[in-house]
Amino acid sequence: MQTPPFIISEIHVPNQLKPRADNVVKLKAEVDKHNLTDMWDMILMLDYQVANVHELSSETREEFCCIIALLLKAFTK
Amino acid sequence: MLTKNRTVFTELGTEAIEKGLADPQLSAFYESMMSSSGLVSEKLREHMPYLSLCSDKLEGIGPPPIFYVGRRSSQRHLFGEDWAMQQGQELRTPDPDLEEASAAAYRAALEERPYYGYARTAIHMEDKVVDIAFERLIIALRPSPKSDRRFCAYFGVIQDLQQL
Repeated sequence: MQTPPFIISEIHVPNQLKPRADNVVKLKAEVDKHNLTDMWDMILMLDYQVANVHELSSETREEFCCIIALLLKAFTK
Repeated sequence: MLTKNRTVFTELGTEAIEKGLADPQLSAFYESMMSSSGLVSEKLREHMPYLSLCSDKLEGIGPPPIFYVGRRSSQRHLFGEDWAMQQGQELRTPDPDLEEASAAAYRAALEERPYYGYARTAIHMEDKVVDIAFERLIIALRPSPKSDRRFCAYFGVIQDLQQL
């Protein structure tokens, strides 16, 4: 019997681990509001090597969002 | 073997780097940042995995909060993956004494010039105490020429690490 092809989209990812589009939008709005857009761009370009957050995979976008959440805390709290 | 219970935080000065006395990778980072006048450029990319980045917010007795911990950075190696990716509050090193002892170097980097120094101390973590010796370089950088923001880039090199 032949093994079925491995399909990435069928991997189950718990909902709490999925980056939500609205979370990215909210974070970007906060970043812009606090004049941290350059920092957002710097991390995206130098670490993730993309120009737009939507070019990231779901998992990588989640990791990026964690960094941005820390960025906001580090500069604004 | 490190001498136990002896804490040293001393500035060596960036002249030591220029004389070739520092770790080669740390020296490469220093030279790269000096050649771009403390402005972020493509040159920073290759060093990102080894850096921790923190804000320019100096309040109280500790250093600024951290927002980025490079995948191969000394802090991630020392404090672990869970610490590096924790959420909920500002990211700071887990030992309050270490926080207090290290703060002056960040102040110097933000207010004067890049800080290069050596430290030897015991660090108290949740489940263990380690004796550590490390060199560290802290440089204040600006993400773009027009930005009014600055941040600190920390390059640490662990020279000796022993669990007590």
